[in-house]
Amino acid sequence: MTNIIEASSMTKRVALGKNTELSILRDINLKVKKGEFLSVMGPSGSGKSTLLYNISGMDRMTSGSVKYQGREIGSLKEEDLAKIRLGTMGFIFQDINLLKNLSLIDNIMFPALAAADANKHTISQKAKQLMKMTGIEKIADHTSTQGSGGQLQRVGICRALINNPDIIFGDEPTGALDSKATEEIMSILAEINKTGTTVMLVTHDVKVAAKTERILFMIDGKIVSQKKMRKYDARQDDRKEREESIMKWLMENGL
Amino acid sequence: MFLKMVKNDLVRNKIVTVTVFVFITMAVILAASAIHNIASLIQGMSKFQESAEPADITVMHAGEFDQAKIDQFTEQYREHIAVQETMVLQNIDGSDIQIGQHQTMAETIQDISFVVQNKNFDFILDINNERLDVKEGYVAVPIYFMEQYDLHIGDSITVKSGWYEKMFVISDYARDYEMNSPLTSSKRFVINQSDYNQMLKMQAGELEYLIEFKLNEGGDAAAVQTAYNEAGLPANGPIIEGKIFTMFNAMSDMVVALVIIFISMLLIVIAALCIRLTFLATIDEDIKEIGVMKAMGISQKGIKKIYLSKYKVVSIAAGIIGYLLSFAAVNLLNGNRRLYIASDLSGNLNYLLALIAPIFVYVMIVLYCNRVLKRVDKISAVEALRSDIMERSKKRKYSFPLQKNKFLSLNSYMGLRDIGKRFKLYRLLFVIYIVCTFIVILPVNMYNTLNSPEFSSYMGIGKQDMRIDLRRTDRITDDFITLQEEFKNDNDIEKYAPYITSSYQVKHADGTWHNLNIEIGDFSVFPLKFLEGRAPEEEGEISLSLANAAEDGLNKKVGDKVTVEAGGKEQTLTVTGIYQDITNGGKTAKAHTSLGVNEASVLWYIVSINLAEGVAIREKMNYYQNAYSTAQVNNIEEYTKQTLGTIIDQMEIVVIGGISIAIIIAILVTALFLRMLLAKDMSQIAIMRSVGLTLRQISYQYMAGTLMVLLVGIILGALAANFLGELLVSMGMSSMGASKIEFVHVIWQTWLLCPVVLLAAVGLTILMSCKAAVKDDLSAVLRS
Repeated sequence: MTNIIEASSMTKRVALGKNTELSILRDINLKVKKGEFLSVMGPSGSGKSTLLYNISGMDRMTSGSVKYQGREIGSLKEEDLAKIRLGTMGFIFQDINLLKNLSLIDNIMFPALAAADANKHTISQKAKQLMKMTGIEKIADHTSTQGSGGQLQRVGICRALINNPDIIFGDEPTGALDSKATEEIMSILAEINKTGTTVMLVTHDVKVAAKTERILFMIDGKIVSQKKMRKYDARQDDRKEREESIMKWLMENGL
Repeated sequence: MFLKMVKNDLVRNKIVTVTVFVFITMAVILAASAIHNIASLIQGMSKFQESAEPADITVMHAGEFDQAKIDQFTEQYREHIAVQETMVLQNIDGSDIQIGQHQTMAETIQDISFVVQNKNFDFILDINNERLDVKEGYVAVPIYFMEQYDLHIGDSITVKSGWYEKMFVISDYARDYEMNSPLTSSKRFVINQSDYNQMLKMQAGELEYLIEFKLNEGGDAAAVQTAYNEAGLPANGPIIEGKIFTMFNAMSDMVVALVIIFISMLLIVIAALCIRLTFLATIDEDIKEIGVMKAMGISQKGIKKIYLSKYKVVSIAAGIIGYLLSFAAVNLLNGNRRLYIASDLSGNLNYLLALIAPIFVYVMIVLYCNRVLKRVDKISAVEALRSDIMERSKKRKYSFPLQKNKFLSLNSYMGLRDIGKRFKLYRLLFVIYIVCTFIVILPVNMYNTLNSPEFSSYMGIGKQDMRIDLRRTDRITDDFITLQEEFKNDNDIEKYAPYITSSYQVKHADGTWHNLNIEIGDFSVFPLKFLEGRAPEEEGEISLSLANAAEDGLNKKVGDKVTVEAGGKEQTLTVTGIYQDITNGGKTAKAHTSLGVNEASVLWYIVSINLAEGVAIREKMNYYQNAYSTAQVNNIEEYTKQTLGTIIDQMEIVVIGGISIAIIIAILVTALFLRMLLAKDMSQIAIMRSVGLTLRQISYQYMAGTLMVLLVGIILGALAANFLGELLVSMGMSSMGASKIEFVHVIWQTWLLCPVVLLAAVGLTILMSCKAAVKDDLSAVLRS
């Protein structure tokens, strides 16, 4: 299987004052395979989200290299990065981050309209189809202030999917949701992954990580360990075992 | 603690603070310099008047003259008249005065005369406002001509008239209270007594008399005028009251000062609107802090003090700096006054009066801030702390869905729908763009109107190619007849119409008789625009100038009757129309030929002419000018330009100033507005970027929205400048005799040049602002 992301010696430093710098990512080396479902775990401040934003080109790394689908994103211009994000990436955030002045369906349609690859009718049909798939078709015309956390996060997922991305990045997508909503969102993401879309999540939640097939563990800006698991299958009913094995692995890594 | 908070806020909102500071400073500079100018204009006028001692009544007369009769009249009316003096003018035609090697003054519309100083009053002064004392062989030249022909002290002029020829060296500029203004049609050159005597001896010029009266304190000018007329004393020229000279002298400076005060007021409004925007944005941002402070028990007064202190500090600083800078700005606008009225601008009173501007601006800003800050009173602690929950519970109807967009690109549509969604926010920008357009287009319209041949209609003249004036010489009646004979046989002339202006006695409402200059002729040949009614077409009809028809004149409306004494008998005429006229102090009248010429007091003859197609005006003018030495032949365009020259020049400065100020305002306010809008929308911009929109696409959204606001602002501003501006200018001009000014619109300037300049300035500002507002790392915003 080919790699969708290849990061080598990637670092990220930010200035804290005139002469002080803080290293958030140090010497990151990472390969993500196309169609993989992986998660990143670690204590707060370990650099999990920063890793996500830097390998996706949303933030600019300080040094090193990140190749996305073979292209070095560090050397790309803002315009090219935007084009890549629009056409091949989807993002899901913990805070959902919907555009306030748009209805839920317009939020979903927005990236597709910006890409302008299809006509409005096709885009609208696709948005409706995605809403139906995620069970939120009834609130299509609501605004971003009208809806539960779970419902709005599904809108976020639909928006991430509208342009058929190759990869979906999730920055704690279930962080603000209750366990039922978390379960539903993870099922949707698993279904998406089954279609061949790569999914990479940052999470604190062992239950979420248990649904992925590889877990990276970060401390102080470095990937210190990783755990591979076989692909999750709800029918096998081994959820508890997977969670316990992750807990044990985490403790071994000092969490 | 408050000072520390003010300091922190100033540092935090540098751009906003600087913008508001610039506006307040600009407003203070303009208002202070305008007040300064008005104060020193009044002061200068009064000093000028003190030194020049102008006549209270001046009668112009050419032809037979008996001083003994005037002396007798003076003695008879000693209760009113303090001193009488007659100045004898030697009128020389402009073509007889040579400047340098080849140029003459032939083109001027002014009557030129050579005089010596009076002995008792109506003194002509030098540039230091000292009485002129010209030495033999030298001449003092009116400032008007010094400017017109770029003459300098030490240059020479040569007078060649008949057998007379003499070269004079210019020794001084002549500041002439009575005839300074371009609106006065005569100018006096001052020479030495012996040169004057020689000129007189050689009969170089046509003689004209200025019979001047200085009245006692409390002397009744109207009574003296009436008595003078009734006594049948010489008066075949106009009788002019002293106050008209004062008005003419002050007019152009006053108009400019008033325009500047108006612009300054607009700037104060803009500064206030910016502060309002800043306050609303800051209060929105700080709403939680306000809640915390209220919950901590800090009084509303205390909270408001935090916000208010900053603008108090800014207003005081801007007031002081603006006031000090106004000392420099004041000289940019008073060039005309320094030249024509007073060079010496010393005196502390002006500086003291100019202090009104910063104090007024400070009070206005603080009062306005207090008003806006009333919003803080309305916020309860709980409401402030839970503002996000309150926001969530609001139900709004969804409008402008993306699916409904059929024609526009996504970014243009997003920009435009944002105006609809947040119109309250854009309202400020909208008002400011209207004001900016107004500031640009109003002076442009005024300039174009003053510069246009159409302006002649406000001078009581119909549209025509050229006109010939015959004034104040014994030969004019004969010349008038010969001229008409010649016109009949001149194929180059398409049409012409002769007009005769004489002085008549007119009965006022209180039964007293007063002088009125009435022009008779056929007014259908060169029709004049009438405010009301029409021109006199039949026997027994008259039309009045606006100032004459006004309450302080004859107080007549169309259809009213006017009693005029003509040919020794009273005639009752019906008023058929009212027209605008800013010449001759605004008081003129036009009657049907049947009224008859008042032979004893013909003032002047005018012939209006239109030339046949293809005839060169200049050549024709030269021909008639040479053939009739007593005539003044003018191209109508030049006539208005020369008369209004000073105002046009000053308007040029106002136009350039207006455009500069409007562009600065548009750029600063757009930058300030976008800075706040972008700060407010920071997270929304980051979301759009995260889904893949480029910075350029996002800039297009703001560009589409802001430019649409600008476009509508320009349209409304231009309409306001065209219609409201006309109303304002008409109000201002009504005291001069024109109450309904119709602007001459130069379409490409109003609807193309001005909008393009504003659009370019604003468009560039939007691009720069959007670029400056973006941070490289998106996550910082998305995760905050």
